[in-house]
Amino acid sequence: MVPDGSPWTADSANRAGVERYARAYRYMLQARLLDEKLASLYRAGKIHGGVFLGRGQEALSVSIGLSLRRTDVFAPLIRDLAGRLAFGETPLDAARTALGSALGPMRGRDGNVHRGVPRRGLLPMISHLGAMIAVVNGVLFARRMKGVLDSVGVASIGDGATSTGSFHEALNQAAVERLPLVLVIANNQYAYSTPNERQFACAALVDKAPGYGVRGWSVDGTDLAACLHVLGEAVARARGGEGPQLVEARLLRLCGHGEHDDASYVDPRLKASPLGRDCLEVARQWLWDKEPGMRERLEQWRAEAQQAVEDAVAQAQREAGPDPYKEEWCALASREVAEPFTH
Amino acid sequence: MSVTYLEAIREAQARALAEDHRVFIYGQDVGKFGGAFKATKNLAEEFPGRVIDAPISEDAIIGLAVGAAIEGLRPIIEMQFADFSTVAFNQIVNQAATLYWRTGVPCPITVRLPFGGTSGSGPFHSQCLEAIYAHYPGLIVMTPATVEDAYSMLLAAVALDDPVIFCEHKLLYYHLKADALPSEALPVGKAALTREGRDLTIVAYSAMVHEALAVAEQLSGEGVEVEVVDLRTIKPIDTDTVVASVARTGRLLVVGESWPWGGVTAEVVARVSEEAFNLLDAPPMRLNAKDTPIPFHPSLWKAHRPTTESIGAAARKLLRL
Amino acid sequence: MPLVPIIMPQLGESIAEAVVVQFRVNPGAAVRADQDVLEVETNKAVMNVSSPCSGVLVRWEVQTGVSYPVGAVLGYLEATDEEAARIGAGSHFEPTSPPPPHSEPSTPSTPVKTVQPTVRGLPVPAHLAGASYMSPRMKARMNELGLHAADLAGIPGSGSGGRVTVEDFERFIAQLEKNKLTQASPMRVAVADAMRRSWTRPLATVGLTAVLDPLLAHRKTCEPRPGPALYALRALAIALAENSAPAGRLIGNKIVHPPAIDIGFAVEAEEGVLVPVLRAAEKRPLRALVKPYNELVELARQRRLPAEATGGSIATVTNFGTFGLIWATPIPLPEQTLVLGLGAGRRVPAWDEATQQFRPVTEANLTLSFDHRVLDGGAAGRLLSRVASLMATPEAL
Repeated sequence: MVPDGSPWTADSANRAGVERYARAYRYMLQARLLDEKLASLYRAGKIHGGVFLGRGQEALSVSIGLSLRRTDVFAPLIRDLAGRLAFGETPLDAARTALGSALGPMRGRDGNVHRGVPRRGLLPMISHLGAMIAVVNGVLFARRMKGVLDSVGVASIGDGATSTGSFHEALNQAAVERLPLVLVIANNQYAYSTPNERQFACAALVDKAPGYGVRGWSVDGTDLAACLHVLGEAVARARGGEGPQLVEARLLRLCGHGEHDDASYVDPRLKASPLGRDCLEVARQWLWDKEPGMRERLEQWRAEAQQAVEDAVAQAQREAGPDPYKEEWCALASREVAEPFTH
Repeated sequence: MSVTYLEAIREAQARALAEDHRVFIYGQDVGKFGGAFKATKNLAEEFPGRVIDAPISEDAIIGLAVGAAIEGLRPIIEMQFADFSTVAFNQIVNQAATLYWRTGVPCPITVRLPFGGTSGSGPFHSQCLEAIYAHYPGLIVMTPATVEDAYSMLLAAVALDDPVIFCEHKLLYYHLKADALPSEALPVGKAALTREGRDLTIVAYSAMVHEALAVAEQLSGEGVEVEVVDLRTIKPIDTDTVVASVARTGRLLVVGESWPWGGVTAEVVARVSEEAFNLLDAPPMRLNAKDTPIPFHPSLWKAHRPTTESIGAAARKLLRL
Repeated sequence: MPLVPIIMPQLGESIAEAVVVQFRVNPGAAVRADQDVLEVETNKAVMNVSSPCSGVLVRWEVQTGVSYPVGAVLGYLEATDEEAARIGAGSHFEPTSPPPPHSEPSTPSTPVKTVQPTVRGLPVPAHLAGASYMSPRMKARMNELGLHAADLAGIPGSGSGGRVTVEDFERFIAQLEKNKLTQASPMRVAVADAMRRSWTRPLATVGLTAVLDPLLAHRKTCEPRPGPALYALRALAIALAENSAPAGRLIGNKIVHPPAIDIGFAVEAEEGVLVPVLRAAEKRPLRALVKPYNELVELARQRRLPAEATGGSIATVTNFGTFGLIWATPIPLPEQTLVLGLGAGRRVPAWDEATQQFRPVTEANLTLSFDHRVLDGGAAGRLLSRVASLMATPEAL
């Protein structure tokens, strides 16, 4: 009953398919290069706070971003740079938030991967895992109330978040309300240092889907073609009114939990297995093999992506951080009822 | 015609639903059933599709409300008991309370909490949690003590662009009555001078205001005139009105139904000590419930919270100092 | 078996520490519950610390002669689980290091700086139930009206412990309005303030009768005539030059000796008293002082004393006899320790042992009022006797 994403092949006549694949690859590459830049800035002590990379998750993430419309709603998590870029976030927003520029979307009040622009449907996460799913539900619920019926919302979570009460409550709520939610689980085998066998006891996370009365999808997270296909399908079903869709993508986290973590606990056998393939490399190889002329484009894309990273970081680094003396230290929109604490 | 505290709340919700298409009500048993306390009775019928039953998922209920607020709607959430809002605590304090500060997008949700003790309710149906919400920046906390305030402050809460924790005292639901609904009210954030006095100021909120008034009546018979200040909102606290009262009387007793460590009473005493030190003719005092969970047995319950007797004793002690 | 700590108990209100005097039990000995095991000394008394339960003393953590705070662990007992549970001590309680001994056990005036709380917590200072304090509102109001606690001495308080509440105070002020009120002069207010400040010290007076005849005879030989107070002043100057300690001031635990023997003398002026000063009075003989003395008296009476003629005196002489008074207890100036007083002379019969007869003499009381913190009756008496004997040989002054 669980539809499995079979490897999608495009023959050379199907240019649209290849172009879409290439477009996805470019976002993945951009994300990977920006991630690497942030990692090196972190190691150089230039980033305050934690740095979390999406290495190994780019295929899944970009598939979310490309499957959604810009008018949909997306609550990314910590390894979704590729998806964010595909959804419309700029490398500059990412660089500004990481480097603490006052001009970033969070204005220094939150940082790193806690960034977004709610009015554009890109919801900034809070740290409590699973908490964003209900917020996506709320956006979809409200849109439906307002008569906007063709929106889809994606909440991106990891294997760890499926253990939280928030996940359970929100998925159940979405199912009861039959909301067009696509809940995407990046099962990268580890939640920080905790392996799956210490996180859940069911055979596969997608097995939970019937328990909630929703449709489940399973996909090889290292295979961009498969991810594009499955996410496209899931989003279409949700948009078509079939209720929430639960997608479990299997992959391996190819970096530490954060850049402060050396991930020495990762089972080397996983790294050596097909699960441990680098989806970016797989995609690059696929394009490389696809047709002549792709090679030059790959080189060019790499150069352009690298340049975009350098430009964004350079600009963000030139910008000032927030000034505590110019800050309006008020957490309420209704200024007239704010407490005038003097300290 | 007379209207109870609960009816006032229902009327306010009806008016909000009627006047603002962005308003909807979401919570457990609020739809056809009309809510555990009947605060939404008939509203699902009157406003189809806008009074919606939720599963028992306080976390997801608030999360949904925040998402709806991002989309420009103005949800009223009914928590069945304040005591259960702790399951939603994370979403209230970390999602709703931080949204505006982090993103500039306001979060106009109203979370209605049936709070406070009634005899026999026990530890998990009696809690007063106003202090823990007030502690977090980004929330407004209201504690109406009168039928009129229950009505006008709920309307104000829905109109405010920030998350409001609206604490409705269960003891007042059916027993407090007024002749009519008000047409005007004090602004949000202003305390009410419920009773003018001369010798002692009692600052209270919610059900304790009525206990304080009873004490004031008693003491009036003994030649002492007590001034009673009803805070109305506890975040923000109207320090100016409290200080003005202390300027007249020189003696302050703050009474709260919540637990003794910290809380509203400590906050008022701290502010008065800091801003009105030279107005005090005696140390500022506070009176709270005992530092234990709220007991079930009526005799224990009565001893646990401030009563007319214990407030009176504290007042007399303060007058003698 | 669990180790139970022996804790320094709360030894009395406001006691924060005690010195270990003697171990009454040695390690290895069995002890009963409540047995006295350690002797300690506070600044009030020697007391015993008793064992919290029965067991065997394992070791002492403290040394004799060293001070430890209330709450400090003094030693350990090994007790059975039941015993430990009975008294509520945790089993297998073992701190990582012994508590540091209290710093500076020797100097009594060093205040307690830090107390290390261990098991039972910090000592609680004595709790003042019932308020005999002045509330902030009272103080603010008094400040507003320029009043001092001394002004309120007559107000009965209706607050607890007789506290004067702000209502009592306002009533009092309102009542005052009903009486005849006249303006007190600045001089009056200044003297009131000086006397109030002086009175914060414990003052005492000693007196003796001096025979004035030699002085009176000597006086007749001088032109112009020196006032009797000048004789007393010169005698005091010589006596203080011999030993200046009685005129010293006590500041904390130091006696500040007078820098020079500058002595003042009281002159009644309108609405108060002025005190001009004769500088280095021990260096100049009586005759040399007469003119300056008389000039200063005149200037004082006219309220035209120059600034350098007042202030800086180390003692004062007052001739209250000019008012006909035979006895008085003047109050020293707040910055001085001594005031020497001379009463009115009277003709009285004095028994002459040699002739076995009464003969007439002129007597006057000589009084010394002093700050009892600086000197006791004995020293005051000796000074006064010396002054009297100097006055009995006026030609040497």
